[in-house]
Amino acid sequence: MNTEYDSELVERYFDNELSAVETRSVIERLQTDREFKALFDQEKALIRSIRAAGLQKDLLHLKEVEKNLQKSLGERRSRLSGIQPWYYAIAAAIALFVVATIWFIPGRETPEELFQSYFVPVGNVFEATTRGSVEATERSAAFQAYDQGNYQVAAEAFNTLLSQEKEPAVLLLNANANLALGNAGTARENLIILIRDFDDFDMAAKWYLGLCYLKEGDIEQARSVLEELGGAEVFYTSKAKELLKKVK
Amino acid sequence: MANNDIIAKIQSGGPGELAMIYEEYRNEFLHWIRKEYGCSEDDSKDIYQVTILVFYENIRCGKLENLVSSVKTYLFGIGKNIVRDTMRKSTRHIAIDQERWLKEYLIDDPEESTPERIYTAARNALERLGKPCRKLVELFYYERKSMDEIVVALNYKNADTAKNQKCKCMKRLRKLCEEEMKRTAITI
Repeated sequence: MNTEYDSELVERYFDNELSAVETRSVIERLQTDREFKALFDQEKALIRSIRAAGLQKDLLHLKEVEKNLQKSLGERRSRLSGIQPWYYAIAAAIALFVVATIWFIPGRETPEELFQSYFVPVGNVFEATTRGSVEATERSAAFQAYDQGNYQVAAEAFNTLLSQEKEPAVLLLNANANLALGNAGTARENLIILIRDFDDFDMAAKWYLGLCYLKEGDIEQARSVLEELGGAEVFYTSKAKELLKKVK
Repeated sequence: MANNDIIAKIQSGGPGELAMIYEEYRNEFLHWIRKEYGCSEDDSKDIYQVTILVFYENIRCGKLENLVSSVKTYLFGIGKNIVRDTMRKSTRHIAIDQERWLKEYLIDDPEESTPERIYTAARNALERLGKPCRKLVELFYYERKSMDEIVVALNYKNADTAKNQKCKCMKRLRKLCEEEMKRTAITI
């Protein structure tokens, strides 16, 4: 048996590179040639193990994403729980006033109000951060500040990173940090670079760009971006459609 | 972006895209599955993670070339199948064994499974394979990237060079697998 030749044949079989005649020959030999069958089973096991390792890696990645989401949710809750009770009374009164205003004067939500209702900073699902790390780099400090809602520090650190290299995830997070700080212009610039120069996070970038325009009071541009998102059956579609109805 | 563009984007995307999709449909999915099937919070998350991986795998292996419904409808459909399958096997809990599920449904050949002893040797061999080779074979066999895409991802000169390198890596992996089988006194 020519093992070198057979190994190559089996590899090409699994890579779908064999002709119909060669494929028939492989199938026939599997029935009659035990050594060839062993080689075939080994190749199949190797490909299975490669795929299992890939799935395991992706599953761990999703678990990490979930952990980060939980962490940011927990931090938001703990920030809210730190508020004094009398704040709640004031907040309730303001909420009642806002609800009453919207109820009695339909369609009067300003772009700023719409922005406030819909803007939630995108979660950092790109890089895990560990608190209290002694060897915190400038990069990890930026992501960590963002995770902690310290947007001023995060934005400054992201700007430094972006001056060295433009990265899609950093552009998206920097835009969000700036939007949270009210710097819609800077956020817009970041998102335009992200949409123009990269293929990543296209839909997320457009969603936040729409919110930038809302924040700046540019209804026409906001509507144009949201219409584009609303017409797509993809991420942010339902939110874009809902917001589009409210943008007069 | 049309449905087919989503598929193209997922095919060319990396971990960032996976995370974005996960986050986008997470709340709706978890709410739905808990309400519909009474799953616990942890079980719902486990099912959602497997759902996302099945969705990705279906796109990568070409089972899903055109989405006739929305991504949300498709994901909910996968989730429903996973829950029903899990309920069939256990009437008391809707807890999913993620690794077993992925192995049985996404890795195994339903018609003929590989003997476990060979699979164990293969897994150990892969652990011993060098990082660059491992990355290359993962891109090809797991992510199902074309040689042209691998050229870009790993900075090879051209598709022929990448293909030659992939063949060398598989040859090395076979050798390591044979060593593993000899080491554990297994003969095939």
